[in-house]
Amino acid sequence: MFKTIPFAKGVNLHIRQTTQFKTVNFSIKWRRALTAKSASERTVLTNVLQHSNAKYKTTAAFRSFLDDLYGTVLYFDTSKRGNEHTVLMNVETVNDHYLANTSVLNEVLGLLHTAIFEPNLENGVFKESVVEREKKTVIQRIESIFDDKSRFAQFRLQQILRPNEPASISANGSVEEIQKITPASLFEAYQSMLANDKIDIYVAGDINEEEIVAKLKKALPFKDRTPEEVPAVLPQQHPDNDYVREQHEMKQGKLHIGFSTPVRFGDADFSKMQIFNGIFGGYPHAKLFMNVREKESLAYYASSSYASHYGLVFVVSGIEAKNEEKALSLIKEQLAVMQAGDITDLELEQTKAMLTNQLKESLDSARGQIEIFDQYKDLPEEFSVQAWANKWKAVTKEDVVAMAKQVQLEAVYFLCGKEQAAQ
Amino acid sequence: MKTIEFKQLDEILYYEKLDNGLDVYILPKKGFSKTFVTFTTKYGSVDRTFVPIGDTESITVPDGIAHFLEHKMFEKEDGDVFQKFSEYGASANAFTSFTRTAYLFSSTDNIYKSTETLLNFVQEPYFTEATVNKEKGIIGQEITMYDDQPDWRLYFGTIENMYHHHPVKIDIAGTIESIDGITAEHLYTCYNTFYHPSNMLLFVIGAVEPEEMMTFIRENQGKKEFPEPTPIQRFFDIEPTEVAIKERTLNMDVQKPKIYVGLKAKDTNLSGQDMLKHELSVQIALELIFGRTSDFYERVYEEGLIDETYAFDFTLENGFGFAMIGSDSAEPDKLAKTIMDELAKYEGNSQFDRAGLDRIKRKKIGFFLRALNSIEFIANQFTRYSFNDMNLFDVVPVLETLTVDDLQKAFASIQGETQQTVFKILPSKQDAQ
Repeated sequence: MFKTIPFAKGVNLHIRQTTQFKTVNFSIKWRRALTAKSASERTVLTNVLQHSNAKYKTTAAFRSFLDDLYGTVLYFDTSKRGNEHTVLMNVETVNDHYLANTSVLNEVLGLLHTAIFEPNLENGVFKESVVEREKKTVIQRIESIFDDKSRFAQFRLQQILRPNEPASISANGSVEEIQKITPASLFEAYQSMLANDKIDIYVAGDINEEEIVAKLKKALPFKDRTPEEVPAVLPQQHPDNDYVREQHEMKQGKLHIGFSTPVRFGDADFSKMQIFNGIFGGYPHAKLFMNVREKESLAYYASSSYASHYGLVFVVSGIEAKNEEKALSLIKEQLAVMQAGDITDLELEQTKAMLTNQLKESLDSARGQIEIFDQYKDLPEEFSVQAWANKWKAVTKEDVVAMAKQVQLEAVYFLCGKEQAAQ
Repeated sequence: MKTIEFKQLDEILYYEKLDNGLDVYILPKKGFSKTFVTFTTKYGSVDRTFVPIGDTESITVPDGIAHFLEHKMFEKEDGDVFQKFSEYGASANAFTSFTRTAYLFSSTDNIYKSTETLLNFVQEPYFTEATVNKEKGIIGQEITMYDDQPDWRLYFGTIENMYHHHPVKIDIAGTIESIDGITAEHLYTCYNTFYHPSNMLLFVIGAVEPEEMMTFIRENQGKKEFPEPTPIQRFFDIEPTEVAIKERTLNMDVQKPKIYVGLKAKDTNLSGQDMLKHELSVQIALELIFGRTSDFYERVYEEGLIDETYAFDFTLENGFGFAMIGSDSAEPDKLAKTIMDELAKYEGNSQFDRAGLDRIKRKKIGFFLRALNSIEFIANQFTRYSFNDMNLFDVVPVLETLTVDDLQKAFASIQGETQQTVFKILPSKQDAQ
């Protein structure tokens, strides 16, 4: 899919030449160990780099330049995967072919250099006014989770399940750590990121490979580095079967349940565990949707998700507060029947078809190609859709039952309105 | 079957109007492995007063019925249609907007089986009192979920402020009380009136062979019988130009106030090229005044009056239209005043400059070309444009013709002081002002 070319020690370039898209996509990922401190610094850093640089000193100047380049998209973001924190920079620009007599690609390559290597400095560090403003912005982003009750409930469940662990640390960091940031400490984090992080660079689009490699070497002068190894998440167990109830001023009840599984991304049983999750609550044909929603009309949504890097399965549902017990027992029952072997051939086939389709579909966008390849590239075998489709095909009902038996309830979190709770 | 070629874009569109009146469009996309199909009726939440097919008198149906009908289409005598799509490895979904109800799926395999399932399930209604009543619990929870979302309440609160009569002010899903009154008979009445093929559009895009697919669809439709198409009569009360409520506040469990300034549009009786030109002109004018390259943006961002939730948008359909500008803000009143002051600067003589217009044109052309990578965008937008007699692929040519005068003229339609309203959501612990 992508051709990998060593760019510098600790830096890899992955190229995909394709005429499928009307755009050329660049993605650069910087990775290191995830802590609340690193996530906080790096998130504020992405905001600062996105705000301005030495060439375009205000947001308006920077954005005007991007608009002129046929609305070239440039943004930074942060994410996490297992114990790893990622800063990513995405750039998408229209392929010159679709523009009459204009070339934007060279300008965009220059822009990559400017946005990364030519920051907007004052006395040798980031501009204080910009840093303080962006600290506030990120704090605001973190605090806004309170307004979205589903996100808040999920955040609380993760805190209860895995306190102070990467599984519950936000990729945005924490308010406490952000407040400690100074222009000097942020500049230090920036220099360390450029010099020490493990880096992957992606390019997908209708490009000339040789030409783009030569131009990228110039635009992105990353030096050799020996990135520190980020350890995998260790198996953990929540000590007690927690049941936490909290109240906000709201109408609906948010039931969020955390289960654990010993099976992680890349393990031999990983594909079996994906099938388990699909049948349990991953799709509209799944047991949770069919029973909690369609049969009992308890909810509009009831689904499960498999956080494979952390060995966790989450079930979420929005219900009337008075139905808390009924919904919880119905959800537990769906796991119990799977453990007892109540899985039909149809459910198995539907789930395999859906997983295969989903993977194929995600390759229909440049961003999807980059993300899928990025996720699977570190596994020992080479990635292909067919190989994964075959793995899912081989999964039997007995395999799924075996997976279900290893899934354990660890904690329940229920968020509902104050009046409802009093009833 | 007709073909329409868009040379500069490397796209060929295939079109046929079937004997039963259904418009079918097929757009093959090279290199894609999935196919995306939407089957859409020109029927949404605003279509609540109309003459049922075969009748002479108009009726008004309960609020939320178009959305309720969308839910109920998926349930058949032999079970849930989602089951069948899953069997074919297809992801199916549906949505109801103010003016449309769309049923859709995407898949990389079994395209014909899924297309057949889509056509058949939408064209074979099955409603009973029992299944209708069962759905009330599910939709009730959907409504409750939206009730708890401050951004949704902000959006709808602003629309409610703007409109006296137009049903755009009614929540698409209705209320728990209004859906309680819905019966199977209501659903059949709405279904029979609005789901006639002549009121619908099928869009197929992706890894598809156009001739073969058109034949397949033609045969499927040829086997079914429909009454003669008759024009649908919809009724709307006369809506004044000025807003219904100038300012309103809602208290919710939020950590920071939220505010929208709403601008109610006049001149909404548009369609075709006029509508496209008008819509693009207003969007560009808003971008120039409130976009990220504007003086306004720089100022309010530096002053801390806005944060990352800042947004502005323009919606236009036949019969209603509005712009909204707003953000989460610690000083909602100050932000509202700053927005209004900015708007006032653009009254009378043109303040829009040519260089800015050219820059935004380039930005929008780039956006459009990027969007053409998304087959979902093309299918959904093409349908919306088509229902308003516009063509999605005219966007770039029309953009290129726009002048500063066009902007000024179009912008005047949302500019009057009496057309402005403010809606705020304040944290519960703060007192309503």
